[in-house]
Amino acid sequence: MSQTINTGRRQFTLASAAAGVASVLPFWARAQAGTPKGEPIKIGVLTSMTGTGGVYGPGMLQAMRLAVDEVNAAGGASGRALQLFNEDDQTRPDAAVLAARKLVDISKVDVIAGVWSSSVALAILPITNGAGIMMLNTSGSPDLKTEDKLDLVWQYQAANDVFGKAFAQIARQRGFKNPAVMAFNNSTFVGQANYFRKAWEEGGGKVAAYVIYEPNQTTYRTELGRVLASKPDVIALSSYTPDATIILKEWYQNGQPCKFIMPGWSANENLIKALGTEATEGIIAVSNVAATDHPTFKHFDTAFRKLTGREPDVFAAECYDMIISYALAVEAAGPNADLKTINTKMRTVTNAPGTKVTGFSQGRDLLRKGEKIDYDGASSTLEFGAAGDAVPDFGVFEILGGKLVAKEVISGTI
Amino acid sequence: MDWLSIINAGINGTVLGLLLALPALAVTLVFGIARFPNVATGDYMTLGAYVAVAAQTFGGLSLAASGLFASLTVGVVSLFFYFWVFRALAKRPLVSRLIASIGVAFAVRSTITFFAGHHQYNIEAPLVRAWNFNGIRILPTDAYIAVTAIVALTLVFMLMRFTPMGRRMRAVADNPELASASGINARRVMVLLWAIVGIFCGLGGFLLGVKAVVIPELGFELLLTIFAAVILGGIGTPIGAVVGILVFGISQEIGSLYVGPAYKIVMAFLVLLCVLLLRPQGIFGRIQAAR
Repeated sequence: MSQTINTGRRQFTLASAAAGVASVLPFWARAQAGTPKGEPIKIGVLTSMTGTGGVYGPGMLQAMRLAVDEVNAAGGASGRALQLFNEDDQTRPDAAVLAARKLVDISKVDVIAGVWSSSVALAILPITNGAGIMMLNTSGSPDLKTEDKLDLVWQYQAANDVFGKAFAQIARQRGFKNPAVMAFNNSTFVGQANYFRKAWEEGGGKVAAYVIYEPNQTTYRTELGRVLASKPDVIALSSYTPDATIILKEWYQNGQPCKFIMPGWSANENLIKALGTEATEGIIAVSNVAATDHPTFKHFDTAFRKLTGREPDVFAAECYDMIISYALAVEAAGPNADLKTINTKMRTVTNAPGTKVTGFSQGRDLLRKGEKIDYDGASSTLEFGAAGDAVPDFGVFEILGGKLVAKEVISGTI
Repeated sequence: MDWLSIINAGINGTVLGLLLALPALAVTLVFGIARFPNVATGDYMTLGAYVAVAAQTFGGLSLAASGLFASLTVGVVSLFFYFWVFRALAKRPLVSRLIASIGVAFAVRSTITFFAGHHQYNIEAPLVRAWNFNGIRILPTDAYIAVTAIVALTLVFMLMRFTPMGRRMRAVADNPELASASGINARRVMVLLWAIVGIFCGLGGFLLGVKAVVIPELGFELLLTIFAAVILGGIGTPIGAVVGILVFGISQEIGSLYVGPAYKIVMAFLVLLCVLLLRPQGIFGRIQAAR
């Protein structure tokens, strides 16, 4: 029921859209001047500039601009310049559908990239599939894998089934014996919880308690009581930050010792700020992390810092990879290729076997020589599976003294 | 199911019920006296929570002082909307006031998100371990919340029962024409009503913020529960609202032990359904002749 018209947000969206167009103009103008020939490739960027994803959206857009800039400076993909069209999805499926319609019907984009939230990705899937265009996202709903009937969806972030498996592996590695599961009732988190249970039981052992709770409650004491009654040594807590805050507050007051494993996008600075250092001590947070040891990441990291003055997060790295891998697929498909041919080239340019490449111009030169390439990205090695999903590595963090401290890294190929 | 879990769930439901009794009473008073379901109740609560956060952050007020400040501020806001919106619509049909209150709800929430954004805030309150009586756990925060709510409710019931002003309020609720014919100043009653509504919603929102987290949907999400509880207790009867929300809270928490948390809200509405089948006018409601 939050169908309100928020002038501030509208103006912000307009301003950011204008900024997006303005930043693209120079390259486009350059394209007219001569270097890349042919009709420009229109890339629709549907990022979350406001709402929950607003923390990540601006960085994701910057990373895509950076990549577009590099491709255009190298003469474009198959001689065609890349052109960005930016819309804000407000991290809301209803706003996203309108924005996606605009990108598809009015701007007539060839691809939609930078989709952050699962609910947005699922909502716009009928639009992108209907238009026969690709959708490049960083979303994590396992449903995207099964709903992607045309193989047009490319996921650069681990889906939550893999997250669930990673949770189980981490719990086992740390010697926990009696885990319990608590999850927010939506497709993402229930998926995560189910796969945790599945992975744990496959490795031998049982899950002490399994509780799916309703959103938007004031108290979760009874639900938590159910879980704690099974005396777990660790709880895999699949929650957003607000409900996690309530649950952890009630857990701490309750006083029963127990550890927590949570997704990194919930166990963040906001959670620490809300609960203080004592109640958050020892919480294990698991996030996808960029491939910091890849040369591609090092190059991207330097360029991103120069452009923005900030450190890139994993979503920004994933967005950089979206543009580079797409541009390589366009290059591999040839100048007059249709969208379908470009789509089939995505795995060709990113998956092994092939000569490893770390940037657009290097990959293009090899492609022109007729060689097979394997782009290793800034976010992961980009090995797309049957469902079009790449899995970056998992970073395991612990909250110690109110700070997120990086511990081990777990390979994404679990 | 062992009795310890049931008692703990019962305590939890009681605390939740007492907390929500504040806005439920506000809803039932408005329905009894101003005669419309006030949809803005939830967002008045949200406003209370945000004012308390602001008072702590910018004013450096203590927990209790920020709660008091939040209650009074929302009281003033509530009076403002009475003078600006609801007074002008007093003679209009119920629906126009209902729709106007939806508008007020949106205005309040959008103003909050315009300034504070969508991310979560917290009311700074000390986190202390529960008192443990052989497995019956009582959270100190919950105890303070319950005591505050009981004190506030008692004050209003005493005001309604034992003061001349309370008598006038009840008279207007009973029959506005007769009340004004016998010389009762309805305007003054309305001002008192909206002040109480604002203060109670503000206080309820503050307590809710202490217990949970402060987000823009904080109060609005609870509106359905509150309205259902008011119907359960008997619309327009203050004591009914309090009993109704307590029954609702306790049955929801204990029910979730048996049917699983996913169905706890369903359980609460099942109780509502059963009560209304036996007593269509609600637990304390009177059957009124339609005029």
